[in-house]
Amino acid sequence: MLKFIVRRFFLMLLTMFLVSMAVFLITESSPGNVAKNVLGAFITPEQEASFLAQTGLDKPIYLRYLYWLVGSDWHGEMKMDMPLRRITTEDDFVEWWAVRKDGALVRWNLEGDDLTATVRTADGKVFKEPDNDRWTADAKGVSTFWGVDLQNHVVKWEKGSDKKVWTFVVGSGWMETTGGPIRYIPLKKGFMRGDPGVSFRTGRPVAKSIFIRLRNSLVLAGIAFVIVMPLALLLGIIAGLKEGSFKDRFLSISGMMFSVIPEFATGIFLTLIFSYWLNILPGATVFGQQAPWERPDMLILPVLTLTLIELGYVLRITRSSMAEVMRSPYIRTAFLKGLPYWRVVFKHAVRNALIAPITVIMLHVNWLMGGIVIVEVVFGYPGLGQYLLKSALYKDINALEAGTMIMVLLAVGTQLCADIIYTFLNPRIRYS
Amino acid sequence: MTATEETADTATLPPERTGFFQNIKNGMLILLSSKTATIGLIIVLFWVFAALFAPLLTPYSPTEQDWRAPNQGPTMKHPLGTDELGRDLWSRLIYGARVVLITLPISDRTWLPIGTAIWGVVASLLFGATLGLLSGYRGGWIDEIIMRFLDAMMSIPIILLYLIIVTAMGASALNVVIAIAIVGTPGVARLVRSLTLDIRTRDYIRAAETRGESTLFIMFVEILPNAKGPIIIDAMLRVGYAIFAMGTLGFLGLGLPPPSPDWGSMVAKGREFILSGSPWAALWPSIAIASLVVGLNLLADGLREETMRYQ
Repeated sequence: MLKFIVRRFFLMLLTMFLVSMAVFLITESSPGNVAKNVLGAFITPEQEASFLAQTGLDKPIYLRYLYWLVGSDWHGEMKMDMPLRRITTEDDFVEWWAVRKDGALVRWNLEGDDLTATVRTADGKVFKEPDNDRWTADAKGVSTFWGVDLQNHVVKWEKGSDKKVWTFVVGSGWMETTGGPIRYIPLKKGFMRGDPGVSFRTGRPVAKSIFIRLRNSLVLAGIAFVIVMPLALLLGIIAGLKEGSFKDRFLSISGMMFSVIPEFATGIFLTLIFSYWLNILPGATVFGQQAPWERPDMLILPVLTLTLIELGYVLRITRSSMAEVMRSPYIRTAFLKGLPYWRVVFKHAVRNALIAPITVIMLHVNWLMGGIVIVEVVFGYPGLGQYLLKSALYKDINALEAGTMIMVLLAVGTQLCADIIYTFLNPRIRYS
Repeated sequence: MTATEETADTATLPPERTGFFQNIKNGMLILLSSKTATIGLIIVLFWVFAALFAPLLTPYSPTEQDWRAPNQGPTMKHPLGTDELGRDLWSRLIYGARVVLITLPISDRTWLPIGTAIWGVVASLLFGATLGLLSGYRGGWIDEIIMRFLDAMMSIPIILLYLIIVTAMGASALNVVIAIAIVGTPGVARLVRSLTLDIRTRDYIRAAETRGESTLFIMFVEILPNAKGPIIIDAMLRVGYAIFAMGTLGFLGLGLPPPSPDWGSMVAKGREFILSGSPWAALWPSIAIASLVVGLNLLADGLREETMRYQ
């Protein structure tokens, strides 16, 4: 059993690795342009090139994947021959600094031809000093220097270079400077070390927004789950008790209808009924900071949509499992023994009939996620699905990768859980 | 209606080889003896006819705009109303059915017969059957690699696959077909593999091997035709799911590019006008896709129940 779990765990890591690589490759090969998405359609080619260099998007794909996976600080350290450290300032900004021999942190910027070092000592004092001794002349006699700039890149400066750099500052627009660095390595820790990077679309670290989105989605799924499970199991048992009865036909056909109608159509029907014709519920979700609790009434329609879809599915599984158990010889024996009807149903049938639905439901998480994405889009709910859709359309690779990894982790993780639970519910199963 | 005749063929087990029309007749008899299957068939046929004869059923073209009549309710002139650009909703609805069931638009001018959703299923059958046959018949490390790969694919949330595939390739009918095919392949491959594992132990396969037939010949000529029954029933359910997927992709803005009539994107567009007082543009395509998918499922369900009873 332990061996089985360990094996599956490694299979899960392998899946995540392959998926992350596939997402990278596919996003790479697809049409569209992140620079144009971020900066608008009217940028000049020089501005675009400058943006691509600063974000590291001009690097070859294998290097970018490596940066994304394990970070880029090792590469910077190699170039600079100085250790790098990431700190979080009092204002909650992430900053990268080089560590000097005396233990102080240092970054540089170029003022004219003069290299200026910003030094941050261990007690938090920050001061500037000229630092021109660090230029090193290469074979052609050009003075260059690899250092950390003020925007968290490891960069290569060239003395006397007239390279123009455009920096886009949100709110104030383009800033043009000359004498900029000629090469950039944007610094990050990499996904495997817990840093999914910065989203191009929002300009914020992915880690900050994605967990809020995930929590919102989990709230939605959780409420739906709590409603669906008891109801669907109960109705499924009722339908399966007597196969072919009116109750059974009614429940299984309506269950089938709810589960095969696309989520967006169900969502539209419910919106029309409850917020257009009856006008008793809000038809869209508009949340502020306190999402999702500030307006519980806005949760009703998304939860109801999700509930109807899942209800049909779980109901049908339970029904067929129950019907199968009711046909089995041991149930007939129990009846023939003269046991009371309800005692046979509850003590003998239900317990065996629930094994299949419970594990199938866990396997169904994969499907449920699809439903949640659609429901979030229909009602404008700020969850993970909508985040993922927008990131994919924007080619926002960091956000897309992080969201994808969370989804794969959830899907594969629940499948593993289902397998484990199954061995407890049905001791005849042995994994080796 | 190939599905019907095939199920009839395996279900009733006729003593001697019956003719084509006899097969259809048997199939129809089974079908009509089930009330659910009949209702499903009526719904599906309604859409097939509407799609087939779309140009005869409406005087409007699906892209013809009438700026004097945007967002109207049903009137004598426009039986289902108009959308935000004044396009006739009935016309867009039946031309939308055409894209799903009858034609696969490749560019502005050219199109292939047989609908987008059905092409998606056919393509996934093709890939899935090849992989499944290979995996099941050859076994060994080929089987191991293919199955691990398919397991990995199946563990990825479906919606994520669609999102990545279609955003990567851009929105067009052909890419929707590819997306449906890729997502459907692992399921078909698993089914075909399990059938192959059973069939390859039969004597006629050993006979073919002794004759020195090539692997390809055994896979496609000896094994595949003997596995067709379950594959065809599975394919019918897949058509329903492909329509579902097409609608969902369209709704997310990943379906056919505008202005082509696409049910999913019609709903997405119409949704914006519900709260401003014109629900029709979102309502009709939702009803259309819901009824078609439910119809297909009723048909498949009824058919399966009846064939099981015959067996």
